[in-house]
Amino acid sequence: MTAEFKAADLAKDQDAPIILALPKGRILKECAPLLARAGIVPGPGYDDEDSRHLRFPTNDPGLDVVRVRSFDVATFVAFGAAEIGICGSDVLAEFDYDEIYAPLDLGIGACRVSVAEPVATAGTDDPRGWSRVRVASKYPNIARRHYAARGIQAEVVHLNGAMELAPQLGLSRVIVDLVATGSTLKANGLVETEVIAQVTSRLIVNRSALKTRPEAMGNLIARFRAAQAAMAAA
Amino acid sequence: MTDDLPPHKALLPSGLRDRLPPDAEAEAAAVETLMAGFAAHGYQRVKPPLLEFEDGLLTGSGAAMAEQTFRLMDPDTRRMMGLRADMTPQVARIATTRLGHIARPLRLSYAGQCLRVQASQLAPERQIAQAGIELIGHDSPEADAEIVLVGAEALRAVGLHRLSIDLTMPTLVPSLLDETHFPADKRAALSRALDRKDIAAVRDRAGPLAATLSDLLLAAGPADGALAALAAADLPAATRKLAERVAATVAAIRSQLAARSMQGITLTVDPVEFRGLKYHTGVCTTFYTPGRQAELGRGGRYICSDPETGAGEPATCLTLYPDAVMRVVAPHRTAPRVFIPLGANPAHAAALRAQGFATVAALDPDTSAASRLGCTHLMQADGTAVALSE
Repeated sequence: MTAEFKAADLAKDQDAPIILALPKGRILKECAPLLARAGIVPGPGYDDEDSRHLRFPTNDPGLDVVRVRSFDVATFVAFGAAEIGICGSDVLAEFDYDEIYAPLDLGIGACRVSVAEPVATAGTDDPRGWSRVRVASKYPNIARRHYAARGIQAEVVHLNGAMELAPQLGLSRVIVDLVATGSTLKANGLVETEVIAQVTSRLIVNRSALKTRPEAMGNLIARFRAAQAAMAAA
Repeated sequence: MTDDLPPHKALLPSGLRDRLPPDAEAEAAAVETLMAGFAAHGYQRVKPPLLEFEDGLLTGSGAAMAEQTFRLMDPDTRRMMGLRADMTPQVARIATTRLGHIARPLRLSYAGQCLRVQASQLAPERQIAQAGIELIGHDSPEADAEIVLVGAEALRAVGLHRLSIDLTMPTLVPSLLDETHFPADKRAALSRALDRKDIAAVRDRAGPLAATLSDLLLAAGPADGALAALAAADLPAATRKLAERVAATVAAIRSQLAARSMQGITLTVDPVEFRGLKYHTGVCTTFYTPGRQAELGRGGRYICSDPETGAGEPATCLTLYPDAVMRVVAPHRTAPRVFIPLGANPAHAAALRAQGFATVAALDPDTSAASRLGCTHLMQADGTAVALSE
């Protein structure tokens, strides 16, 4: 059993600032214009990947920004450590946390989760005859669900990167990975054979936070919604 | 091949725990305070057993808990038994069978431990304490409101004055889909989008209902705004009735709060939320305390059905989770401990107990053990308790 927090240690109170969790890397850059339109100006250094700081104040004293790995945004928000966040729909599909609401498609960070396999084997074997397949992926749940829906048991090799190496080194038959342009696949002799899901970044909020601070959270969501609509129109 | 290290003997199965002093006492005290609050409103306590035959435990409202129920075989009858995962179905069974002849409305309370097969990552406990009430045989906004108010008062007695109570109507969306003949094969995808409050996907999947459902999604929040949106929404007749029932329940809760001049309670309404225990059939509530992640309790309207005949009667329940309550209330104050030296007058020690001390009797002449044994006081020869200096 987890050690309990003493009530007094749980500093998070009604009046504590709302925490916005942003993903490091590619999406962070794409978030900048959206944040600007929503009137959120994080303190200096938030978009500097070399900065060692992880938490930044904003122009709004009631809102702080934290910068975490994209997979961790969902976890921070699900556990209520951050009330709101920006996270790819791939991550949401992988974790499937029921404490997360995803009220807004931000339309940024577009890519897809796909199956890919070596050019050499693609089309040589009919997957309808498979009862199992070995898959290398950083999305074990997505991969398992995808194949289970076709009656195929996916044996997932969970990797955190360099998935493209797995088939040529004999680690797996196929990979399930994020594909943006497809150039990495091509460079490694792989071909995209199936798109599992289109991915965009979503605004996500913690369920309890939305229930217990409806005005503050609703107001923030509305600001993002207006910003997103303005960007889509522009 | 080397052997694995033997498991540590203190390692417990996941989701189970030992409660140590003073937490074990604090939990018991919190449960008793909640139960006293229920009793003060005329809710009489029942105590169902830990285990029941599976076919009884999992009928009616219990069916929803089937996949969360531990099972074992009764070596005596060779029938399968289930270990309760939720007490409401048990209390419903008692109400319709052994207490079936008692005048309605029937008010019952209960407290006990439940066990669930699977914990979630967010709530790792598999053993869950429950303390709850059932109001059986009355279908009205006033009955819904009574349950909420009794729960709020009980939580107030353990020191929780600020509550945020979320009201939902899990049957509203299914009713709307039924009445508008929404295609059955598209419901799962739409339900999922509604559950995640994913407006883009709802607009995409809801067809002719897109505008209504996205308006209702956006309306979730403070009760007034949500009720106004419900009133303005284009709803068919039966769904309209459900929406009116939510409004009537909110009005009934408010009038009772006002009558008792209870402050610090925020009401929110989420018209399209339908998660929760699957047996709920009407207005449901979730209790939160602002700024904290934990749900303190859940309840709602359900059909309390006789496991023999299947005949049902309206009922509403509220289950509070003492584990969650304990995490958010101020630490429990335990009695000061006074050390009683060997050979002291037992009457003096009894007098100190009567004053609220816990007495710790010496078993040997050494009085220096007092502070090691967690005593804050030492009894003198004249029977007074003197605080030990640090």
